[in-house]
Amino acid sequence: MSFFGFDTTLPRDRALDRAQQSGSRGMFDQHDPFAGLSRDGGDEGEALNFDETYDGLGRQLHESGDTFNDDTFGDDAPVTRQAVGRDFDFAGQTARVRDTLLEEQTLHHARQPMQQAQAPRPARSGYEAYKQPEYIPKLEADASIWGKPVNRQPTAAAAQPTTQNVPAGRKMMSLEEVEAMMHAQSKPTPPVQDNERQSQGLRDMLGLGSPAMPQHPPQEQQRPTQILQRPQQQQQQQQLPIQQPTPDHSLRAPQILQRQHSPQPPRPQSQDFNRQPPPQQMQFQQPPQVPMGGAPPVQPPHVRHQQQSHNRGPSYSGPPITQAQQMMQMSGPERDSYLAEEAKRAKRNHKIFLLSKNNGLMTPQDKNFITRIQLQQLLTATGGVDNEPGSDQQLAEDFYYQVYAQIRGGPPRSGPAQPLNQFAQTYLFQTGSRYGYGRSRHHPRGGDNHVQRMEQQVARAVEAAKARPKNKHLIMEGSLGKIAFSNSKTPRPLLNLKRADSEARMRHTPRAATFDRKAALRDIEKMYSTLMRLEDHERKLPPPPHEDSAPDVIEGHMRWRSQMQELNQQLWESLKVMEPIQANPTSPHPFIQILSHGKGKKAIPRVFRHLDDQQRVTMLTLIVIHLDILDVIRDAYPAADNTPLPARVKEEVELFGAAVMPPLFSYVNEAPLNIIIGLLGLALDRVHVQGLVRTKVGVSMLTMLVSRAELVRQASAADPTQTEDVQQWQDLYARLFDTVEPVLPYIFPTDTSVSAADDVYVWQFLAAMGVGATPDQQQRLVIGVKDRVMETVGVSKTLPGEMAARRLGDVNLFMRAIGLDVELLG
Amino acid sequence: MADAEEAGATASNEPMFLISLALNEIVFVRLRGDRELKGRLHAYDSHCNLVLGDVEETVYVVDDEEQGDEVKTVKKQSEMLFLRGDSVVLISPQQ
Repeated sequence: MSFFGFDTTLPRDRALDRAQQSGSRGMFDQHDPFAGLSRDGGDEGEALNFDETYDGLGRQLHESGDTFNDDTFGDDAPVTRQAVGRDFDFAGQTARVRDTLLEEQTLHHARQPMQQAQAPRPARSGYEAYKQPEYIPKLEADASIWGKPVNRQPTAAAAQPTTQNVPAGRKMMSLEEVEAMMHAQSKPTPPVQDNERQSQGLRDMLGLGSPAMPQHPPQEQQRPTQILQRPQQQQQQQQLPIQQPTPDHSLRAPQILQRQHSPQPPRPQSQDFNRQPPPQQMQFQQPPQVPMGGAPPVQPPHVRHQQQSHNRGPSYSGPPITQAQQMMQMSGPERDSYLAEEAKRAKRNHKIFLLSKNNGLMTPQDKNFITRIQLQQLLTATGGVDNEPGSDQQLAEDFYYQVYAQIRGGPPRSGPAQPLNQFAQTYLFQTGSRYGYGRSRHHPRGGDNHVQRMEQQVARAVEAAKARPKNKHLIMEGSLGKIAFSNSKTPRPLLNLKRADSEARMRHTPRAATFDRKAALRDIEKMYSTLMRLEDHERKLPPPPHEDSAPDVIEGHMRWRSQMQELNQQLWESLKVMEPIQANPTSPHPFIQILSHGKGKKAIPRVFRHLDDQQRVTMLTLIVIHLDILDVIRDAYPAADNTPLPARVKEEVELFGAAVMPPLFSYVNEAPLNIIIGLLGLALDRVHVQGLVRTKVGVSMLTMLVSRAELVRQASAADPTQTEDVQQWQDLYARLFDTVEPVLPYIFPTDTSVSAADDVYVWQFLAAMGVGATPDQQQRLVIGVKDRVMETVGVSKTLPGEMAARRLGDVNLFMRAIGLDVELLG
Repeated sequence: MADAEEAGATASNEPMFLISLALNEIVFVRLRGDRELKGRLHAYDSHCNLVLGDVEETVYVVDDEEQGDEVKTVKKQSEMLFLRGDSVVLISPQQ
């Protein structure tokens, strides 16, 4: 027999069954339409005819309730497709929101780790208790009010926290509580402390009383009726294991405590204040907490706490247990640790309060608005789609960042090559997960609506950017004017200058008279722009072609090389090194003019690496010829009255030493002896060397040449092929020595005292000179600088240890070069 | 750098090129609101946005309360300064 009482037996079996089924055939006992049928037929396999089986049961129904059917369901119009509606197109509906679903999924996955990381906030619906298997919802009078022996529940007793649990239990306090507690600590008769009331309330509720106080139960008797709706679940009771003072229970008003204490598994003591609403505060919320959906989803928990504490209102009046009294009964160390704990907590809570002061000022709508603006900025920052990804313009957009990233070896940039859409989408998903979290449960569509809207916005912005005509002007049909487009990158041109004309006019300006400051600046700018084009071109270096690479690759490489050469030539021309040297110039050589500016000096190291050897030696020669008109030498002669050099000159000298000298030095360090001889010869012929050696740059230049020559000479002393050069060098050296010797006493800087002088470069020069000197020359060298040596050694004795050692070391550079030592001077 | 390059390479006769000549030099900038700046020009763009280093700013204040409408100057020193171009009245190289 089937569940509904239908007789499932086949007609042929029925005869057999009939005897046993004596009247117990379910609800269709009275009307068995098939009963007669089977009785009549009895024949196997007989087809059932409905008309025969229909016994007119329908007619027995009393049709009474359908009088107003037409009013309710409309009249008897024929049912058409339109009338039926098409709500059943579920697949279509789903397809329409497919994107949303995908987003949802992404968000969900993105959120997973976050949820694991932070202990999930229990959704407090107020009905959790009912899920608890042991929960028996019933009203139960507190046994203690009848004076009966307190029925201690083992589970509750087991849940009594130990001392270690104290912080856990008491950590979550709102600012009000902390303040109240601080008051309690300062006043002798403090206000009632929530915490204690709560823990006492808990104890009352469990019928525990104060476990350590034997006189407690009798006092409980004085309490008026107290009805507690008590869940019998395990409660994580946050109770201090401190001795409760006897509270004045007689003052207590009748109270009904509605408990909706959800079982809370002991959580790790997370510092995340916001994620864990304090359980104690929850306990006394009078209306069972509204499901979260009612509250604004992004309202910070802190604010919610405050509201809760406000809501708590006067309806609760717990046993007035005072902090001070409790404290009195604590043992010394216990109290200390307790106080320390409290202070720490108060401090932390205050900090949180300060931080969260502005929480919730912006609604989600505000935030979305801002995000949309930011997205728009992102889109327009690249000027729409004007610049193809990866193009030069795109590189130029954030050139400095790219170079910086290269220098710093930062992570490879997914940057300009990454399509904007993808970027925006990443951005969106990140934002989406931020919004989606915490609100999706109650507003399943809420958070994603914004995401969706933003996505649409982005899509529209991209579309608009694409639709924008590429040319800057749009002439609408039938309109009189034309519309000019502009963005931040390509502002609308207000002036349309014809360049060719002015270019031609420029050429008419007489060139000879423009060797002035402005011309030099112009030269520098042109040199820089050429240099930057060259550097740009260098970045576009195609991969080196192989023998079997495609012809167009090889051709491209060849083209690149020829371009490079061309640019190199332009750069060389822009340097003006090859400008003719006038015998009696009215103005310095253009290249020297370039060098006289700070930015010109700074360009030298950048330019130098693009030059070939021939160009380098040409440049070096030009510098050596014009040494005494270089600004860093011309302006740096020590003044007659020993006043220090102006700061501007000093700066330039420093810059020259830092920017121009190193590349020159690196070249000279590899130059053969004959080039050094040539350079030094030129210097001796054309430059006033006696003046030169009184400046830092001049001395450094000479040092550079002489020391290199000495190195080469020593290395090739045994080489017979070099003897001619060496001989030539020795002649030249003698000439230099003779020139410099008279001014030896004056080559030291005079603008500061001996003790503070920065004269290491002079000692280096003397050392370089000393190495190659004959014994006779060495003696003359020593005589020339003897005074300074003695002075420095004398001064170094008065200086503190480290400085003295440094000064002596400087002098020793020279002394050792001629085979002496400062030690010998005593 | 790329911007300056374009400016320098293509427009050596346009007004902005004159500013490029003052790069890395001390410039004098007059601003709206009775202010003047003197500092080293590090960078500029087509909006006359400037980056200046070692700037001395001078503000001229007319003190109404005092008799005689005396003009007082207030000086400020900044190590590095970004100047938005819309307040620039004049840029002049300082010799």
